[in-house]
Amino acid sequence: MQATIAPAPLFQRANRLLLSAAILVLLGYFIVYGVYAVNLMLFPFDYDQGEGFELVDTIMLSRGEWPYQNTETYPFYSSNYPPLFHVMAAPFVWVFGPAYWYGRLLGFLGTLVAAGAIGLAVYREGQHRWIAVLSGLAFLASNTVYHIGPLFRQHMTMVMFETLAVVLLAGVNEIPDTRRRRRVLVLGLGLILAAGYTKQLAYTTAIAALLFLFIRQPRRAVVWGLGFGLVGVGIFLAIDRATSGQWWLQTITANINEFRPDQTVGLFRLWFGLHGFLLIPAALMVVYELYFARLSIYSLWFVMATANSILSGKWGAGDSYFATAIAAMCILSGIFASRTLNASWHFPQNYLSRWLVNPLRRFMPQFAAVGLVIIPLVYLGYGRAVLHMPTEGAVFSDIAGALSIQGNAYGGRFYDSAGRIAGGYADIGHLTTDEDIAAGWSIVERVRATDKPVLSEEAAFNLLAGKDVITNPTQLLNLANNGLYDGAALIRMIENQEFGLVIFRGQLYPVPVLIAVSTYYEQVDTVLMNGFNYMILEPRA
Amino acid sequence: MLSDHFTFTKRHLGLLLLIGGVLGFLGILAIDLLDVGREGGIGPAQQIALGLMAAFALIGLTLIPLGNHAA
Repeated sequence: MQATIAPAPLFQRANRLLLSAAILVLLGYFIVYGVYAVNLMLFPFDYDQGEGFELVDTIMLSRGEWPYQNTETYPFYSSNYPPLFHVMAAPFVWVFGPAYWYGRLLGFLGTLVAAGAIGLAVYREGQHRWIAVLSGLAFLASNTVYHIGPLFRQHMTMVMFETLAVVLLAGVNEIPDTRRRRRVLVLGLGLILAAGYTKQLAYTTAIAALLFLFIRQPRRAVVWGLGFGLVGVGIFLAIDRATSGQWWLQTITANINEFRPDQTVGLFRLWFGLHGFLLIPAALMVVYELYFARLSIYSLWFVMATANSILSGKWGAGDSYFATAIAAMCILSGIFASRTLNASWHFPQNYLSRWLVNPLRRFMPQFAAVGLVIIPLVYLGYGRAVLHMPTEGAVFSDIAGALSIQGNAYGGRFYDSAGRIAGGYADIGHLTTDEDIAAGWSIVERVRATDKPVLSEEAAFNLLAGKDVITNPTQLLNLANNGLYDGAALIRMIENQEFGLVIFRGQLYPVPVLIAVSTYYEQVDTVLMNGFNYMILEPRA
Repeated sequence: MLSDHFTFTKRHLGLLLLIGGVLGFLGILAIDLLDVGREGGIGPAQQIALGLMAAFALIGLTLIPLGNHAA
């Protein structure tokens, strides 16, 4: 077919040139991502709200304690996340003590592993090395993956397990050797369990994988699905028993939060605005498989993960809920791109191909030639759509100046094409500074200066001062919003002014706690750190 | 269906999507018909769900003519 295209050498040259440009652009984002990750690993305080409580979970698990505790008794702490990510980080606590860098390193490495798995899947299906590289880099270049990847949070580790599982299970039905097929099934389903016990959101990947197995061979899906369910439920019940029911209360019941449709709509619009260049080929790939080929696990995963992203409108949720769909998008769009560049599309005869494809078959050589140019342009368009970078500091200020990019976030020191306008989009991504670190240590000194316990909305100050971490404010709010929190003991401590200091950032406590604090404590200072104002309150005279 | 050689065809998938879409559509409408104490009619979440169910049914209809091709 290639031989019939007159301008093929020209198109081939244009293809190589544009592909190189696309790889350079996405490599640029990878460098920005690496700089950001290292910057965060060197920052010893909470960067994103709640990171410190994931560190507390890790510390507790490293001591053999469950983080699912009764929030009505001192220190009023509990977690709403499954334990696997924290168990993975626990050995670092034994060696290095409490610190943020290793959790952030694990998150960062998780995104690299996921990107590698995406590239592998695309290469395996499409046999196009450069598109495989572009697909992995595209995942890391996503604004969402960028800003949550190197955090002390379990989300991207869940995405890593999900991606590995899906890539592993993609060809499982075609493995002729029974023993090897069983090993792959055990490993693939085990990785999904790992994802689920890293974060609950992975349930849709479990559904997609079992649906894929069911469509291909219902018997296998039923047998393995039963085994998978038994193991999953068994672990669940064992943890629930070990925590006297706190596991169920804290991770399931308390996680039913208010849903804001406008937040979901805003985040979907943003998602399309940032990732539309790759979402369209990914969606076309799903349509192709639906009508002209067999449905792959990637298509089912993409559809399920996209549907699950509707939950991004929940209180406490946000754009991170799209990360799984972004991984699936990168795989499907990569396969689409590879097939287009390799001119390897196949349309079997059916009523749709007779109506839609056959009249165009004589133009296929021209389409293939144009595709050589369009595909790299799609990745270049994606590179432009996800533009994000610091606009200050060495090198970055020169690049920003050369490209006429002006910061639109963090006081004009960072540019994010997401525009920071959709509710639920994490207001992070900028680099921290020495001033931020100094400000954090000044708060730690205040915490050390009091001999009483300190009620802080972020755990770092107490941990670094060697004091108890008291409460997990967002979890108290989760419980309160579901009518599951009394708070009498904590409020009594506040009324008795038993805390030497109260530190607020977002005032995320339940309203009765906030009222008690404002009644018995007064603000004495505000410390600016990392773009946020930390309110320092002391007991009223 | 539980034999080692059974696999879903495009027609099976189409029928499942058609039936699921129609039943889902009717079920979502029934929420308002049965829940007489509620106010405000069909909300935005229900509208999205109704749209999805209609899409499922439509996709199902278009898959049925593809016959015995493996899904």
